[in-house]
Amino acid sequence: MSTPLIGVSKSMLKIKELINHVANTCLNVLITGETGVGKEVVAQNLFAESSRSHKNFVTINCAALPETLLESELYGYEKGAFTGAHKKRYGKFLTADKGVLFLDEIGDMPLALQSKMLHVLQSGEFSPLGSDQEFKTDAWIIAATNQNLEKSIQNKTFREDLFYRLNIIKIEIPPLRERPEDIPALIEYYFRLYRSEYPNSQGSKPDAETIKRLCAYSWPGNVRELQNCMKKQMVLDSWEKIFEELPAERNSAPPAPLQVDPPGDTPALFSSDHNPERLSIISEFVDLSTSSEKLFEDISLKKIKKLASDKVEKEVITFVLDKVGWNRSKAAKILKVSYKTLLYKMSEFGVHPPVK
Amino acid sequence: MADPKRLLIVDDNEDILSTFYEFFNSLGYEVKTANDGFAALKVLREKPGFFDCLITDLVMPNISGVGLIAIVKKEYPNLKIIAMTGYGDQPGALASEAEADMVLFKPIDLFKIEEKVSALLGQK
Repeated sequence: MSTPLIGVSKSMLKIKELINHVANTCLNVLITGETGVGKEVVAQNLFAESSRSHKNFVTINCAALPETLLESELYGYEKGAFTGAHKKRYGKFLTADKGVLFLDEIGDMPLALQSKMLHVLQSGEFSPLGSDQEFKTDAWIIAATNQNLEKSIQNKTFREDLFYRLNIIKIEIPPLRERPEDIPALIEYYFRLYRSEYPNSQGSKPDAETIKRLCAYSWPGNVRELQNCMKKQMVLDSWEKIFEELPAERNSAPPAPLQVDPPGDTPALFSSDHNPERLSIISEFVDLSTSSEKLFEDISLKKIKKLASDKVEKEVITFVLDKVGWNRSKAAKILKVSYKTLLYKMSEFGVHPPVK
Repeated sequence: MADPKRLLIVDDNEDILSTFYEFFNSLGYEVKTANDGFAALKVLREKPGFFDCLITDLVMPNISGVGLIAIVKKEYPNLKIIAMTGYGDQPGALASEAEADMVLFKPIDLFKIEEKVSALLGQK
């Protein structure tokens, strides 16, 4: 049974509507979003709403397997195709025929396999390793990644032609911190789910104040992190303990703009430097808590320049967009960049309109 | 024109949309616009058979132009489709594969597009 897509935010409602409109087209889908936002859940919902729901939903994680293994998992092999191939094995493409093949972490697929994948997507045909027979496949391809594939294309780690072939329909799932209104619904859902899974648990439901705190937290691990907290609560039954265990600097509601490491945590290298303002500026771009050796490796003026200008650019872009009611054409004119540049920068910096 | 032809124009660039709107409107076409593939699909499904021609950009969020063309060709085979792209060959090739009636590369002269639309719709 697939997990329902939980959420009441505008962005989640739009994703649900989009799924509803495209599930029966079986066009290639690319799902993007940070780790833990629920990319597989969206894929399962597409599958569940499609006419293929009575067939197989086959998942393969392109980052988890070494190249050769990934290839044989995808395409299968004939007996004797390589040392250790004692018997014939069907690949995921065949298992997913008439169903869905979910390619998770597609951004991590090695280039050689990307070109093979492209060929299969173009022709609908493939041959298992060690076989000269061509098989037809009618698998609906849904791919997912937490990477910015446009960037990977620039870095030559992802094929542009494969990107466009996968990106026929794109579903972008925003991180949980951008849609805090979904948090109460998620809490409610997972509380009930884990209650039924652990019927003897004493874990109490969060009260209004706790829910408020949970909504204010930034959830860097997204829904998966929230799930883990709910599971922990079933065992610990103490929201206080759970809050204590959340990464401290993100726990307090408004993050301090400049963070100064307490003197005790500052490495010896910097303990003699008593200029807190300087340290706080540097600490925004360099991790000062590492050893001095590692630190010197990390400090590069070029890198810091990029980080610093990115940070300022992001703020300026958000500021201007906000002023013009998120009209991107107007903002581009004000910022004196092309519309395309603005869109690129917005996606690079993860600038999204506020969810109402 | 006694019977104005109906166009749906799809692009995620508001400037292009408004330019196209003004231009085709001034030539007597009845024009509707949508700013991405999903919005366009909803408009088309709301009024099946209403439009004569779809002019769409290819690289857009949610449903891409290629996706829109593939869906529309299946659901409304009589609708004429012109694809426009500014992103090199890849999306254009995919649009042809999805059976767009015509693929044009940006920047495009508006009068040229009107000629193509007119020819596709069998006017003049």
